[in-house]
Amino acid sequence: MVNWLSLVVPFAYLTILLGSLYTFSHLYRARKLSKAASLEPWFPPHLQRNIYLTLLHLDPSESGEGGPSKVPDSVLKAALLRRATEDIHRVLQVQNAKPALQSLLQRGSVGDDLWQRFLRAEKEIQEEIKDVVAEANAFAPGWGQLIFQTANEMAQNALLRKRVEEIQAQVTAEKEWWEKKKAGIQADFMKELDEDSKATQAVPTTGRGSDDDAVLVEGGGPTAAQQQGSMKKRKKGKN
Amino acid sequence: MSQDYNYDEQGQFFPYFVLTIVGLITLPTTYSAFRKGQDLENTAPRIKSDFKPEHADLIEGQRKKQRRRERKLKRMVVAAAGWALMAGMVYLIIVTARTVPKIWDPYDVLGASRSWDEKKIKSHYRKLSLTHHPDKRQPDPAKNETADLINDEWVEMTKAFKTLTDEEVRNNYIQYGHPDGKQSFSIGIALPKFIITEGNGKYVLMLYGALLGVILPYFVGKWWYGSQKVTKEKVLVASAGNLFREYESEMTEGDLIYALSSGEEFKQILHGKSDAGLARIEQRILAEGEASPLAGGLGVKDRAKLQELDEGVRRKALGLLWAYLGRVELDDQALNDEKYEAAPTALALTDAFTSMSLAYGNTKPLLAAYHTSQNLIQAVPPRASPLLQLPRFTPAVVRAVEGETARTHLTVQDFMRIPADQRKKRTVGPGLLTEKEYNAAVQIASQLPALKVEKAFFKVVGERFVTPSSLVQFVVKARIIPPGSTNTPAVNEKDLEDVDAKEGDLDALHGRKKNDPEDAENRIQPPLAHAPFFARDHSPRWHVFLADSKQGKIAVPPFTFSTFDKPLFDEEGNPTFNVQTLKMQFGAPPHAGRYTFVMHLICDSYIGMDTKMEVTLVVEEASKAEEMEEDEEISEPEEDTLMGQMNALKKDATAKKRPRRVEDESSGSDTEGDEETESETDTDTDTDEE
Repeated sequence: MVNWLSLVVPFAYLTILLGSLYTFSHLYRARKLSKAASLEPWFPPHLQRNIYLTLLHLDPSESGEGGPSKVPDSVLKAALLRRATEDIHRVLQVQNAKPALQSLLQRGSVGDDLWQRFLRAEKEIQEEIKDVVAEANAFAPGWGQLIFQTANEMAQNALLRKRVEEIQAQVTAEKEWWEKKKAGIQADFMKELDEDSKATQAVPTTGRGSDDDAVLVEGGGPTAAQQQGSMKKRKKGKN
Repeated sequence: MSQDYNYDEQGQFFPYFVLTIVGLITLPTTYSAFRKGQDLENTAPRIKSDFKPEHADLIEGQRKKQRRRERKLKRMVVAAAGWALMAGMVYLIIVTARTVPKIWDPYDVLGASRSWDEKKIKSHYRKLSLTHHPDKRQPDPAKNETADLINDEWVEMTKAFKTLTDEEVRNNYIQYGHPDGKQSFSIGIALPKFIITEGNGKYVLMLYGALLGVILPYFVGKWWYGSQKVTKEKVLVASAGNLFREYESEMTEGDLIYALSSGEEFKQILHGKSDAGLARIEQRILAEGEASPLAGGLGVKDRAKLQELDEGVRRKALGLLWAYLGRVELDDQALNDEKYEAAPTALALTDAFTSMSLAYGNTKPLLAAYHTSQNLIQAVPPRASPLLQLPRFTPAVVRAVEGETARTHLTVQDFMRIPADQRKKRTVGPGLLTEKEYNAAVQIASQLPALKVEKAFFKVVGERFVTPSSLVQFVVKARIIPPGSTNTPAVNEKDLEDVDAKEGDLDALHGRKKNDPEDAENRIQPPLAHAPFFARDHSPRWHVFLADSKQGKIAVPPFTFSTFDKPLFDEEGNPTFNVQTLKMQFGAPPHAGRYTFVMHLICDSYIGMDTKMEVTLVVEEASKAEEMEEDEEISEPEEDTLMGQMNALKKDATAKKRPRRVEDESSGSDTEGDEETESETDTDTDTDEE
């Protein structure tokens, strides 16, 4: 006769052990999944794509009489180009980041989450590019091969223009500084001149020397004017 | 022949057992809890200074907080408990009476001496039989004797006698320790009996369950998740992720400070109280400053970035960082405290960012990271004057020294190079410094360890030329020349040479031995950084790296030096002007030619003491070097093995060579960009000519 009562204990032990292990693994995996699902996207929302898709799906019949009629193709094409330009930025970023991120991950300088987010972003951008190419081909066959070249040039141009603007933005500050400096130098020279003239009153023979100095001070004016002039010219040239 | 397990009823053994186990845990814990940290920060000398900045109490409070954090209180508690337990066990051991098991000894029983021979034993036994045989001996009630006892005694004696005389019984005795042959024996378990006594079983089971089911998983989990939460650079993984995403190849110091504010650590510092004082911080840092347009030292771009941020922890952290850098008074004890607490955190994040910019390999963000580290340690905004490092130097004083319209800043070295009387005239005055303050500042300035490079060259150990793919040493010879040092002695030419280790000294040749073995421990530390506003002790470190200036890429990643091989200052604190040697190794490019690098030598603690110079690596064809060797006719067998090892080493080095990688990357989009900029400049000149 088996003593059932004494067998209860080991069976209870096994049940509790296996049950707790199962519960743990279940909870752990569920948490991991939910965490992976809630990972922040790498890139912010794709504004250009959203604009393009909104324009594409604008239905004139819905908006009634006062609403816009069908969006013209040129606008759609421009929106697609904008979207491609933004994609170029993202592709470049992904390309540059990949080797760096890989080595950092190996060294343990960044976490696994970041890598997951990155992989997702990479996949997303691949899909995005395919989509853009398909859309472009739908507008004009063969445009798909060219659209990213165009977009790249647009991106480069925008970058350059931004840099130029940054430099241009310094103009006022530089000008102010120069005016201040000029005034400072002038004041210094005038002071020196005053002292000199006092000295000349005492010793009249050195009078000629101080005149030369005065001429030099005047010389500062025209160069400043020239500089400003060239700056203006430059501004014109850039835009 | 029975076996039985005895629990330790008298408590004789389990104290030994517990003592051993507890000792195994307690001793290492005690050692680690009370060992003085061997970090540079704990052993380095200090720069003498009696300068107390405003809110010195807050900064000191932060330092104390850090020290408390480092004090490992938990370990101390564990160690103390362990020692108490051990003391208790020792007490138990002393107190418990030991029952020494009697060893049956036939000589003792007979009262015979071990030196006796068989004959003598026999006669002794016969004598005993006369007195001790039960027939002869009457039980003596006075001695509490009974007939049984006497009988037993006699049996024992007979047994003992037989053991010593009978061959078979003797064998038994030798083999089993008893004349009757194998005896039953017992095994003691060093556990107290109450563990298995009826009724206690469930408690023991509960203890066991708690140990394996709760405490063990808890600690393993805590360790695992704790180690997963921080990266190698000891910043939170989330912060590292944020920093990585903020990375841009054209980052300035201001951008980096913006990036740093994304650190998750700030959430802990601010305890989520993001709104408290945000308006006040921004009002203060965006007010008009003495020297800069904004008091916090922000640029226009930085301000725009700050104002674009959502209200929240990050915005406040950024505001606090700028307030710290601009040394802006916030008029609120709590805010000021947070301001000083933010800086060390930001420095740790900067470290993490440095490793990221190394992974990308662009020079500009790396330089920005190093400069930000300087700025954070000295509490000086980016692009501000290095003179602010000196105590009591305010933007107003700096402006008086540098002149109203100066565009470039004077470094501390430049400042100290101004003739003394003129320097004093510019600095001392109403609204500026008093004479005493000036003297204190100059005294500090003349203690700063400014490293001046005397010579920098490439060499390959044991060869005259640098051959393709060889293991090149880049040697920097430099001297610590504190600003304002007069009568600096000329450099001894001999010091500038780098003598190879003796032939046959394989360790040195392979770079295993950096210097003499006894030197490795006696490396000289520079004094701690003079950083009165930074709420941590920081030992200055020097980073040397080679960059490709055309592509803005790092050619040879930084080597960091925190100690030197010769003393910097003598006992009276005067500089010794010893020539220090800094060495870094890397693999040479695989093709012959001239390679021009820009060497950056950057101190992470002091502003304006960086060195940037061009160095040229000339790689000669391997054939040329071989010719030279043939001329010299070296063909000893020993030499051959040495060369073989060197070659093997070189091959190793080529695998992780960087210069080649950098060259490979110079294709595609980069050149495109270049062409475009050229065409742009073309059109520019055209319009100018119009």
